[in-house]
Amino acid sequence: MRLWHILRTRTASLLLRRRREAEMREELQQHIERETERLQASGLTPDAARQQALRHFGGVEWAKEQCRDARGTARLDSLGRDTRHALRRLIRDWRFTAAAVSILGLGIGANTAIFSLVNASLFRGQALAEPHRLVDLYQNGSNRGGVDGNSYPAYLDMAARTDVFAGTTAALVPSGVNYLDAGVLRPAVAEHTTASYLSVFGLQPSLGRWFTAAEDVPGAAVVAVLGHEAWRRKFGSAPSVIGRTIRIDSVPVTIVGVGPAGHRATIDLGIVTDFWLPISSLPALGAPPRTLTRRPEEAAFSVKARLRDGVTVEQAQAAMSILGTRLAAEYLQEDPGRGIAVYASSDVRVHPQMDGLLRAVASILLVVVGLVLAIACSNLATLLLVRGTARMKEISVRLALGATRGQLVRHLLTENLMLSAGGCIAGCLLAWWAIRSLAAVDLPMVVDLSLDYRVLAFAVAISLVTGVAFGLAPALKATRVDLVPTLRGDGETRLSENRWLTVKNALVVVQVMVSVLLLGGTSLFLQLLHASRTMRTGFAVDSVAMIETDTRYAGYSAILARQALEEVGRRVAATPGVQSAALTRGLPMDRTGVPVIVEGAKVTAGPDAGSRRATVISAGPGFFDVMAIPILFGRALDERDARDAPRVAVISESMARQYFGGADAASVVGRRFRPEADASAGAWIEVVGVARDTRTSLVDPTPQVFYQSFVQSDRPPTTVVARTSLDAAALVGVMQRELRMVNATLPVVSAKTMERHLEESLIAPKAVATFLGGLGALGLCLAGIGLYAVVAFAVSRRSREIGIRMALGARRQQAVWTVARDVGVLVGVGTSAGMALTLVAILALRAIVVPTPGISIYRPTIDPLAMLTVAAFVAMVGLAAAYVPARRAAMVDPLVALRRD
Amino acid sequence: MSDQTDLIQGTLDLLILRTIALEPMHGWAIAQRIQQISDELLRVQQGSLYPALHRLEHQGWITAEWGASETNRRARFYSLTKAGRKQLATELSKWERLSAGVNLVLART
Repeated sequence: MRLWHILRTRTASLLLRRRREAEMREELQQHIERETERLQASGLTPDAARQQALRHFGGVEWAKEQCRDARGTARLDSLGRDTRHALRRLIRDWRFTAAAVSILGLGIGANTAIFSLVNASLFRGQALAEPHRLVDLYQNGSNRGGVDGNSYPAYLDMAARTDVFAGTTAALVPSGVNYLDAGVLRPAVAEHTTASYLSVFGLQPSLGRWFTAAEDVPGAAVVAVLGHEAWRRKFGSAPSVIGRTIRIDSVPVTIVGVGPAGHRATIDLGIVTDFWLPISSLPALGAPPRTLTRRPEEAAFSVKARLRDGVTVEQAQAAMSILGTRLAAEYLQEDPGRGIAVYASSDVRVHPQMDGLLRAVASILLVVVGLVLAIACSNLATLLLVRGTARMKEISVRLALGATRGQLVRHLLTENLMLSAGGCIAGCLLAWWAIRSLAAVDLPMVVDLSLDYRVLAFAVAISLVTGVAFGLAPALKATRVDLVPTLRGDGETRLSENRWLTVKNALVVVQVMVSVLLLGGTSLFLQLLHASRTMRTGFAVDSVAMIETDTRYAGYSAILARQALEEVGRRVAATPGVQSAALTRGLPMDRTGVPVIVEGAKVTAGPDAGSRRATVISAGPGFFDVMAIPILFGRALDERDARDAPRVAVISESMARQYFGGADAASVVGRRFRPEADASAGAWIEVVGVARDTRTSLVDPTPQVFYQSFVQSDRPPTTVVARTSLDAAALVGVMQRELRMVNATLPVVSAKTMERHLEESLIAPKAVATFLGGLGALGLCLAGIGLYAVVAFAVSRRSREIGIRMALGARRQQAVWTVARDVGVLVGVGTSAGMALTLVAILALRAIVVPTPGISIYRPTIDPLAMLTVAAFVAMVGLAAAYVPARRAAMVDPLVALRRD
Repeated sequence: MSDQTDLIQGTLDLLILRTIALEPMHGWAIAQRIQQISDELLRVQQGSLYPALHRLEHQGWITAEWGASETNRRARFYSLTKAGRKQLATELSKWERLSAGVNLVLART
């Protein structure tokens, strides 16, 4: 009951303050009136009675104040007062407020966005039952330089150790497939795995069931489990999807279940698995039979196992070491391997050999972000410091008028917390906007870009710490002022200001240093962005159109498929405006790393072995003509290269240079190479021509490509490319029509202009470059503003000194020069330190070792011109920041400068 | 007025609680009643009555409601809550112990 009363009265006090105030006034008023009446009744005149009543009552205002105190709203009142006052101040100094809020907002916003991104792609773990019992198994590759992985037979050997493992599962590296549903062909990602998959992870399907071991046998009807994400996005979360039959790579597949929500792929790194299929269905889906054999180059299975109760990782390792030795002895010919490594799954993010790279990339990103935040914070600190100094006099006056130190600190703190709150809101809005616009970019991978609550908490923590740290420090300093000198107006000239090693000097040096580092980084990113905009592709993009189909859906054999495509090609070539048309399988933007062996090249031992990979494009006659890729030496592919003729290829300049070691590319014509996987005598391919390099990638500018006639490579063409003198976009429509005319059951995989195709293939690197470039530009703005503020502040503190010098007869130039010299030294020190740091950073970036062939990362070059530009820019901003206030100080009448506060 | 006694700290609360234990009263009446019953010996600074009333209300011992007074005017009537009655009992026994103790000390010296 009492609690109820208390709650009611207190809520009323809080919420109905105005009403309670009115009631209180009325109550007191009534009291005085009654007392007046009583006294009047006892014979006093009305006036005297009123006087007497008021005297009996005591101070009315005092009583009111006491009543308010009694109700406990006094503290709230003063908080409200502080808030209102702070708000008024902040609105009055709107320039300062805008600057501080935008600085904080930019810092926090960039951080939140990037933290979300890094968190989503690198650090988010999967929900698993008893994760400490999960281990990853890797058979060390017998070919050095490759990434460790397991062949399917090796997995079966591991799975047989049921004394150690309660369950074992294998999953093949995800592969791109297409599926036909409701008449539309769409791309998808498929993972082939075992029936035991979910039980090893300790997860349950969210709908239907997983496939059974009986469905994972060769020859069984193919079934699939839909990924939860694919079910949601591509099938509209319809429960009726269970039992539906779709076609994946033309094979009918029945959907039996939907995977667990939140489990996106075996390796959760942005790529989301749409279909889980049994491993045994691989041959049925068109994989070569060798995929399931014991070969080093087929070791693309990742193996995960759940330990039996009580079995430790060490015991599992011991058991696997024995197995590894046995396999090495037993399969000396096929794939001996070099032992088996066991890792606790919690220690592996993607792959033991890739995690280092991943962490390096993530930490570089976080360092850049940290620098931006550091700049933002130091800018804010400077701003607050400047403001603190400017308000020193106001604070002194208030102290002198009797404000307590606590009140002042509370007041200043309120102001700074409000600033931080504003910055936080601005930052969250910016982060939200950044993530939304990132999500709008059609990246080839799905990244979960949601601002989760941890990220939000992170942003709020940053803003609060920043606000309190940099708000309270100047507040404390400001209230510790010595009243008398400040009031007298010379609080700013202490001799100690001239010492070299002051906080402010350090602030200038650090600010300059970080600015140079950030600008150096920005120049790298901008280089990348520039490269992506101006890349010379080396093949025709304008007025070329392409259409790709999948002939398997028409049930064609390789020969029929070729004939159908040739028919489409002929019809397209006959269209008005078309200059030439050709068939191909593969385009310059594709990357397939086929391991090749070059005849007569040095032995394939050492760390380089296995790293000779090339992209194969199976092209038809006329391909080089349509794509306008010049043949530098030898000849192009033509009708001579028939099925029974000797196998020939045209190779790219880079392949000739790098794999055939020829300084003279012409001498490469006539030499031979073969795919590593095909050791038969007829597999050798003779080089008949060298084509100019095509560039489609920013990180791998000189790709190794060989072009083979599709009749010789047994890979039927999939694509028609054609060049027109008219509109390429219109040609795309014509091509689609012609394809339908030849066979209406042939689905369109993609049909677009080459320009659009190239654009789409570059979207990911361009997005990254834009993102990093944007970050750099942000750093540039912040660094510029901050540097200017710091230096201008340092100089303005010396305006009095300048005034004295002028009064003593110094010439204007001289006075300005004295100040500029000091600042110049500081800027110089900072610039040199920043340049050194930038060099170290670039060298560190270049030193990142990529453990896997076939993966390229961007290696920045040291660009002296860019470095000098950056240094010059920073020096200019610094000197301008010193010169402008110094000159203004020198222009002022010395008398005014001396008298000024 | 010199023969009037200032209230001992804290006793005002007790007097208020005791006064309104009989019937709900408004502020002016409470002040009058205390003065009359104590034969004008206890002087309540009328202004200080209200902070005490508000404090007691804030603590949940008493509750206030607007009503019509004997002269048919709007007035805020204070009455004891259940918890207030208990509090009154505690305060009373405390007071009795205190005054008994003080009396004993005064009697023996």
